[in-house]
Amino acid sequence: MEGAAVLRSTDARNIATYAIKPTDYVGLVPRLLVAEGDIVAAGDVLFCDKKDERIRFCSPVAGRVKAVVRGEKRLLLAVVVEKDDACEKAPAPMPSDLKEQMLQCGLWTMVRQRPFGTVANPDNAPKAIVVSCFDSAPLAPCYDFALAGREDDFTKGLEALATLTQGKLHVCFRNGQKLLAKAEQVKSQISNMELHVVNGPHPAGNVGTQIAKLCPINKGEVVWTMNPQDIATLGHLVKTGEYRPEKTIAVAGAKIKDPHYYRIMAGACIESIVKAQAISCDYPNMVSEASLCGNRIISGNVLSGTQVAADSFVGGYDSLLTIIPEGNYYDFMGWLMPGLDKYSFSRTFLSGFIPRCLHSIFDMMPSCMKPKFDTNTHGEERPYVFAGNFERVFPFDIYPLELIKACIIGDMELQENLGIYEVEPEDFALCEFIDTSKTDIQPVIRQALETLRKEAM
Amino acid sequence: MQMNGLRNFIDKIKPTFSEGGKFPWLSATFGGFETFAFTPNKVTKSGAHVRDAVDMKRAMITVVIALIPALLFGMWNVGYQTSCALMAQGGEAFSFLYCFWFGFLRLVPMIAVSYIVGLGIEFTFAQIRGHEVYEGYLVSGFIIPMIVPVTTPLWQLALAVAFAVIIGKEVFGGTGMNFLNPALVARAFLFFSYPTHMSGDKVWIANDLWGSDALTGATPMGELATGGNPSASLLDMVIGTIPGCTCETSFIAIALGALILLISGIASWRTMLAVFVGGGAMGLLFNAIGANAYMQLPFYYHFVMGGFAFGAVFMATDPVTSAQTNCGKWIYGLLIGAFAVLLRVLNPAYPEGMMLAILLMNCFAPIIDHCVIARNIKMRQRRAEAGKEVKA
Repeated sequence: MEGAAVLRSTDARNIATYAIKPTDYVGLVPRLLVAEGDIVAAGDVLFCDKKDERIRFCSPVAGRVKAVVRGEKRLLLAVVVEKDDACEKAPAPMPSDLKEQMLQCGLWTMVRQRPFGTVANPDNAPKAIVVSCFDSAPLAPCYDFALAGREDDFTKGLEALATLTQGKLHVCFRNGQKLLAKAEQVKSQISNMELHVVNGPHPAGNVGTQIAKLCPINKGEVVWTMNPQDIATLGHLVKTGEYRPEKTIAVAGAKIKDPHYYRIMAGACIESIVKAQAISCDYPNMVSEASLCGNRIISGNVLSGTQVAADSFVGGYDSLLTIIPEGNYYDFMGWLMPGLDKYSFSRTFLSGFIPRCLHSIFDMMPSCMKPKFDTNTHGEERPYVFAGNFERVFPFDIYPLELIKACIIGDMELQENLGIYEVEPEDFALCEFIDTSKTDIQPVIRQALETLRKEAM
Repeated sequence: MQMNGLRNFIDKIKPTFSEGGKFPWLSATFGGFETFAFTPNKVTKSGAHVRDAVDMKRAMITVVIALIPALLFGMWNVGYQTSCALMAQGGEAFSFLYCFWFGFLRLVPMIAVSYIVGLGIEFTFAQIRGHEVYEGYLVSGFIIPMIVPVTTPLWQLALAVAFAVIIGKEVFGGTGMNFLNPALVARAFLFFSYPTHMSGDKVWIANDLWGSDALTGATPMGELATGGNPSASLLDMVIGTIPGCTCETSFIAIALGALILLISGIASWRTMLAVFVGGGAMGLLFNAIGANAYMQLPFYYHFVMGGFAFGAVFMATDPVTSAQTNCGKWIYGLLIGAFAVLLRVLNPAYPEGMMLAILLMNCFAPIIDHCVIARNIKMRQRRAEAGKEVKA
């Protein structure tokens, strides 16, 4: 895709406002613990999980609570903190136990569990912890670059993370990654850590794919996952006792003037970045309020990210901000034209016959021959007709179409039998992308998982 | 952008056919034509924000394009066969172009009837059910005239199409929900309702326009079923200059279509290959027995005779009615090939086994899938139990 971030970063750690959004966390029912105007330090609690008050969501920076944003039915949408270094105070004494430490400063919320994709339950004993140190999604950030200078924090974090499980800590890399060399140095000190080199196209970098290959989840089992940047934060916490949720995010996409990296604190407001970077779109009619100059802003990647407004905040688990054009245009006889500029996994358009190497080596193709990516669905929703395509982009030992159908009809036993516990919606992102029938698959999977989770409680 | 005028016109008349307009009950019909002209401006909401450019219309039109070589050859062959039959009676041969024109005049009305009747029913059902017009019939409607004898009366064709669309498809919920291939349902309907029009020596050759006596020409399979040997050479069968259903005689034209389907990734190479492997294996088995002339026929003859190739490429691979799992597709294809040859050789009452073999396996496809998936479920349960034991 067009607009990959170049390996150069801008320091944006001085952005003024930050927010933690309960909506980023699956199935969370928050209990608000602050009011507007309260003064908080980095690592002070903002709200917690109603069902387990040990799970605390904390401010990434010191400052003042600027707003408590609520939506329909008083649903808590975000707690906004205005940064103010004057509010900095000496960090509270940390408990000695690692888990308690992470819970107290809110870093625990960065540990996710499968099945269900919720924040990990601290009482569970996970079968394994799996970490993916590379992202294979389109325009994804390079973690080698994002963690440059924080490698020691990262390895320290791996050490700490390994103590959280009786099972194995699986860490997956691409061949030749700098982080891999770093991790190999400390391998001897961490007895239950295993390093893996993963090849292949997307979704090889999805942690779900790696879990399926390394330690598939059976009913009743739990596997934890954590992003490499949060592991570095954990390392920093262990080393210094200070909670400092720093992140380097890639800002990328066809509608970004200067795609590159930004160093931020977690939960930073994206408004200043977006305003400075977005190129207005060719189709000026706005699609939704969230779109900016006819563009779509996505926190995360184009396959499984969340659409956000221009004044929103970086999502809790995201290291990527993508801006692509909206696609609310009509395409005359789109189904019949040769389609030199259309990207398709099938070879039903002429574009499928242009060798890939031409794209990458020369970059001198006329613009009418470059594949365009926008939010147009390129067709209407239909019943499922084509079978067997999903399997080509779905590297699980699961029958994807059958599982999707089981989710649609709500047959929980069948879902369990077909392996729903092994998947997350993002694992179906490529199926959704190539789907000839243009159905929304990820919401269907999420809904089925949520029903199962509530049933299990 | 381009075609602004047409777009403006559509936008102008759109309210007439929408809720609150003059003809809201025609909204599906209008939508069908609108999306035919313009791929809609719909955008994604969540999840995969970008989508693949291929949609159902594109996929279906790719199949239609793959059918065109066979159709063009079929048009020419219709004329050519009449010309040959006339020559046998002492008449003059048609020129190449006249052969084509002759077949064109025969086939275009058949295609028109198939589309008008079939799409008419599809539009009506879409209207009643309140959904958009689905594209499934674009392919079925194209295939049906290609797999019937050229002498089929248009009213019979219309009846068959109506039966296939209503009973074969719509009663099960429409496109994507049917378990029998609609084109084959139409063929089977004709075959069993009007057997005299569907077999014998007279049906394969179109009469001259100014109506001389019925012309005859036997298909290779007809000759074999009655105990003879095919008079056509293998080369004739590969090229397709033999009597038969309108467009299924040429192995080469069908192979061209198969190439398009396989390269574009629309049809499953597994199913296609499996049908040929299954048919070949069954043919070899009969060779080994060799009790009569039909059994002694070299196995590759089966591939080029009758509807075998056409069925394997365009109908066994129908994604809705074939097995859906990759493993299931192998079993499904192998059995179709095997049954088709079995029916041909052992049952002289039905010279063409392909249609029945595919319909039969259509019925079994869900069971095959069920077994394949059951194995996957068992594997998962075993793994879970093994996991528990390790813990214990």
